Amino acid sequence: MAEAAKSSRNKIYAVGIVVFLAIISLLYYLSAPVYVYIIAYMWFGFLFGILQQYGRFCFASAWRDLIMVKVPRMFVGIMVGMMTFSIIAVFIFMYYPERYHTSQFGLHGLIGGLFFGLGMVLAGGCATGSLYKTGEGNMISLIVLLTLSFSQAIFAVTAFDFIFEKFIKSLPSFSMAELIFGQPAGVPEGTSYHVKYADYSFWQHMIADAGVNAILIGLILLVGVYIVVVRKGFLRRRAADMTAEAGASADGGEAKTGFKDELAGFWSMISASRRTSIAAVLIGIVAALQVFSLGWLAKHYDFVNFGNVLAGETESGAKPPSSWPDETYPSDVAVRSAGRNVNQGGSTVFDPGYWYITTQEAMAAAWSIKTVGLDSHPANNQPGYLENNHYFGDYNGIPVPWHSPALLLSFGLILGASFRALLAREFKWKFPTRELFIYAVIGGTFMGVGARIALGCNIGAFYAPAAFGDPSGWVFFLGMGLGAYISAWFVNFIANRKMAKMDMDFDIEL
Amino acid sequence: MKFNKKDNGEYELDVTGYVCPHPQLYTLKCMDKLQDGMVMEVLIDNPSSVESITQACNGKGYEILGKESPKAGVTAIKIQK
Repeated sequence: MAEAAKSSRNKIYAVGIVVFLAIISLLYYLSAPVYVYIIAYMWFGFLFGILQQYGRFCFASAWRDLIMVKVPRMFVGIMVGMMTFSIIAVFIFMYYPERYHTSQFGLHGLIGGLFFGLGMVLAGGCATGSLYKTGEGNMISLIVLLTLSFSQAIFAVTAFDFIFEKFIKSLPSFSMAELIFGQPAGVPEGTSYHVKYADYSFWQHMIADAGVNAILIGLILLVGVYIVVVRKGFLRRRAADMTAEAGASADGGEAKTGFKDELAGFWSMISASRRTSIAAVLIGIVAALQVFSLGWLAKHYDFVNFGNVLAGETESGAKPPSSWPDETYPSDVAVRSAGRNVNQGGSTVFDPGYWYITTQEAMAAAWSIKTVGLDSHPANNQPGYLENNHYFGDYNGIPVPWHSPALLLSFGLILGASFRALLAREFKWKFPTRELFIYAVIGGTFMGVGARIALGCNIGAFYAPAAFGDPSGWVFFLGMGLGAYISAWFVNFIANRKMAKMDMDFDIEL
Repeated sequence: MKFNKKDNGEYELDVTGYVCPHPQLYTLKCMDKLQDGMVMEVLIDNPSSVESITQACNGKGYEILGKESPKAGVTAIKIQK
């Protein structure tokens, strides 16, 4: 009876979440219709939250469970989702080429990925995994998020500029299309070329960016996982079954497995977790729809970056239409970009246009540091200590949280996960023990530092670039795997020490 | 975390309160220590660990005898080695 009452209460809370988000959306819209752009971020976050919670979608799990418990479920799911996303992304970027960019390719991706991988296994979740787990009522994940946010903000204002200027800024950035098909004709010899989506044809992008960078590399990794983790056990079971069948029907003897059985084994790995694969494909589709919708909305409302709206600068140069807010918010755009003309990108705020996780949280942490008065922020919008750097000063800014588009995605994601967890009877408040608190703080800090060195997290530095044809995503992925391997060894070592003290026959506290 | 032997001879591992990767890790380590045919019930309140434990058991050839939710947010998985 008590459980039934709890169950119906959970349903009421779940409906309450949707009503709450609908009211927020309405208030934004009534304030200025152009805010539908950031409302869209929030609702896409809500969808990501539902799907992630349903599929247990977490990049920490992908590497860690593969290494520690030989479960390839999440690794497979992430690859399947990324491949799906890569195909749809080509169609979308053909329409909105201005929303495409590549990241610098270099050692920083490997080192940042290594830190990130070390952190995510200790923390028990990646950047986006920690968001959805927070939505499940897991306050250990909330601690991970907070340390991830503040460590990023602190790193960004202290060490980031030095590392960026010295090691990252001058590194090349290119897409797989450029790598395979070369620079387009007409680029003068010796000039630096930044890849532009429109410089290549639809098929060039489909072959190079989706076909090679996402699908071919993804398939090679999946075959590798099959050979290393799945193959031996599968073929042993298969041979045993075949031998038993042959023994029952004919002369017996040990059955031999062939190529057909290898294919069956590979397929069993892909189909082993329907739930993860379904979620992965749907996440890929939602991620692509998000790029499309935000691209469409920005064009429709005559801006490139949401910072343009906050500063009152239309892309066409016309007077802001009535759908824009009456007021402008100059202190919410990046200080150094304020007042730049539209050709130079105009005034900007962090507005990636796709699924992104860590930067908006670093911005929220910086905003809270600024708000409690730990940083002097001059009234005339000159850069204070927090903003006088590349990270916050040039593009991202430190806006109020309700003007930070991607932060609304994170907010929606947490609530989307809560919505699904409540309906599935999986919501449970969980508070940290001392051991889990230490893991969360150390893990979150490592992830924050890693994300800043690599210029992104598991989504911004791997999932999206790998799907978009940017080879730099794979450098981060490799680093993330190495870091996860080291942390997995450490966590396993601690677990073995605990197990050594276990007595299997008596009640014990571990 | 608590591990004990129940009156019916089965084992019980309570990893509620723990987050990834601890539930799946301790479950498999405890299963390693059991002898063939022994049964262990694991109590978990970390949804993603339930999926990982199910697949890891399939991979190792352990049989999942049952899965139920004794209360909201908690899953009990009965595994036979």
